[in-house]
Amino acid sequence: MRAADAAYAIGPAAPRESYLNAARIIEVARRSGATAIHPGYGFLSENADFAQAVAEAGLVFVGPPAAVQRLLGEKTAARRLARVAEVPVAEGTEPLTDVAAARVAAANIGYPVLLKPAGGGGGKGMRMVRKEEELETAWRAATGEATTAFGQPALYIERAIWNARHIEMQILADNTGNVVWLGERDCSVQRRHQKLIEETPGPSVGDGLREELGAAAVRIARAAKYENAGTVEFLVGGDQHFYFLEVNTRLQVEHPITEMVTGLDLVALQLRIAGGEPLPFAQADVVRSGAAIECRITAEDPRAGFLPASGVIALVREPAGPGVRVDSALYAGMTVPTEYDPLLAKVIAYGRDRIEAIARMRRALEEMRVSGVPTSLAFHRSALFHQDFVTGRYDTGFIEHWDARIAPELSAGATSAAALAAVLATRARGERHTLPPADAPWARAAREDALR
Amino acid sequence: MRYEVTLDDRRVRVELGDHGRFTVDDRAVAASVRETVRGRQWSITLAGESHEITVVTHDPLRLDVDGNDVRATVIDERALRANRGAAGTRTGRIELRAPMPGLLKAVHVKEGDHVVADAPLATLEAMKMENELLAPSAGRIAKVRATAGAKVEAGAVLIVIASE
Repeated sequence: MRAADAAYAIGPAAPRESYLNAARIIEVARRSGATAIHPGYGFLSENADFAQAVAEAGLVFVGPPAAVQRLLGEKTAARRLARVAEVPVAEGTEPLTDVAAARVAAANIGYPVLLKPAGGGGGKGMRMVRKEEELETAWRAATGEATTAFGQPALYIERAIWNARHIEMQILADNTGNVVWLGERDCSVQRRHQKLIEETPGPSVGDGLREELGAAAVRIARAAKYENAGTVEFLVGGDQHFYFLEVNTRLQVEHPITEMVTGLDLVALQLRIAGGEPLPFAQADVVRSGAAIECRITAEDPRAGFLPASGVIALVREPAGPGVRVDSALYAGMTVPTEYDPLLAKVIAYGRDRIEAIARMRRALEEMRVSGVPTSLAFHRSALFHQDFVTGRYDTGFIEHWDARIAPELSAGATSAAALAAVLATRARGERHTLPPADAPWARAAREDALR
Repeated sequence: MRYEVTLDDRRVRVELGDHGRFTVDDRAVAASVRETVRGRQWSITLAGESHEITVVTHDPLRLDVDGNDVRATVIDERALRANRGAAGTRTGRIELRAPMPGLLKAVHVKEGDHVVADAPLATLEAMKMENELLAPSAGRIAKVRATAGAKVEAGAVLIVIASE
C-alpha cells in the first residue's frame, strides 16, 4: 500500500472474503474508475471465471482470455494440447477421483510417481510418492490441498523424472498472433515443489536446448491461441531430454530475473498487450546479456524442514547497491499472516556473468536482516556457497540433499559476542514486561525504521 | 550473574559483572557493546573486530550472528541449580505441539496407539499448505488433546506421546 496512489479495502483477511471475492474486486475497480485489472501472481491470477467476470463487466483483464486459461488450467487437457503441438510430455494419466484408481495407475507407470491436482498447478497439492505404502497418506493430503487451492479434488498421476531440472520459458504473445520467447529460467531449487531460487540463463542449458525449448513454448502458445505474458514449464532430465509440465497463464513470481537480462519491463508489456497494441519487437530483437538470480525470502524455518512461521516483524534491513533489486512488502511492525503464502521478499541480483551475479547475491544476503520470524535466509546464504550451486550442477533434489543440521562456523570473537548478546537479549526480554506503554509496537517500529 | 549459554552445539559460560564488565569462559573480555535496536540488535566490538548480532526470535532464542543463523539457549545460575536438582526425573512424556497457528485438518491416531518415529500423527493446514506433523519419537499415544476441524494456536499441545 505504501507504493500505491490509491487503496481500497476489499474485505477481511480470509482469502475467500477478499482476494478470492471476484464480485467485490470488480465493484472496487468500477468505483475507482479503473478500466483494467492486473491480477498479479496471486489468488485470482489463474482463475478463468474471474477473467470472464472482468470481461463481462466491461473491464480489461490483463492476462490471457478466460477460454485460454480454462484450456490450460485443466492440466491434463494442457498435456493433450502439448502432444498435438509435438512437445514431449511425461507418461501420465487422465484425472482420477479415488485412491483405488490411483493405486492401479501408479503400479502401471511404476514408482516413484507424482500426484498432481488436475485443477491447477504451481506445485500446490503436489506430492511425490516413492512406494505404494505412501500412496494413501499422500492422496489424502494432496486431494485436500487441491480442493482448498483450486476447488477441485481430482488428481492425476505422472511418472517422476529423476535428477530433473525445472526449466521454464518466458513467452509474450500479442492479440495479432505474434509470439516471442524471452529465455529460460532454472527453478530447480525447490522445497515441497515450491521454488526458492531461480536463475537465468540456466547454467546447464546450452544454446541448442534453449532454442528447442523456446520453439516448443511458442508452438504450445500458438496451439492454445495464447495472449499476453505466460510461462511454459518443462522438466529436463539428466540426458537433456525435456518434458512439458504446464503453462502458467500469468506473470511469475520470478519474472524480474528475465527483466534483468533482457532489459524489458514485463508488466508494462502486459499492459500494452492488454490495451490491444502489437508487440514492439520481434524474436530477432530479443537480446539477453549477463546473468540474474532471485532468492525468495520466505517466513519458513529451513532448519525445521521449512516449516512456515508466523509472527510480527520486529526489524528489517534490505540490501541495496549496484545490480541488486529487492521486491518486498516487509516493514517493521508487520504481522506475517497465516492466510497467505509465506513469501516475504524477493532479492534479485544481476551480474555481467554468473560469477558476478553470485558474488552480488552473497553480499546482498549477508547484508539482509529480518527479525521477528525465522526466515529462509539461512538456507539461501548457505546455498549460494554450496558447491553444487556454484558449479551449476544441481537438480530438483538440491534441498533434499542440503544438510540443515550443519551448524555455522563462528570465529572465537563471534562466539563471544554472540554469547554476550544472547544474555543481553534474554535480560532485555525479562525487563520488557515492566516497560511503560510508550514502548507500543508502533513506536518501536518507528524508531527502528529511523535506524535503517 | 552467571549464565550458561549454548550456541548450536557449543557451550559458553558468561558472567556479567558491574559496570559492563564481562567474562566469557572465565576470561575477562574487553568489549564495546552498542544496542542498535532496543532489545533486538547489538553491535559488539572485541579484539578490534566488530560483530552484529540480531535476535531473530526470542522464544526459542534464535540469533543472526554476522549473517549466520544460530540457535541459542540461556540459563542463569538459579535455573541451572534448580535444573540439576530435577535431573533424573524425566517422565519420558513427549509433547507434539502445533508449530504454527492453523486449522487441524485431521488427527491420524487415537489414545493407546503405538507409533514409530516419524509416523504421521496429524495434518495441520496453514499458509495454504497441508503439513503432516510427524511423531518426534516412537512411543504410545498417551493423550490426544485436539480434534480435527479445530483452529489451533502456535505452541498448543496436540498430542502427548509416552516414550517406551
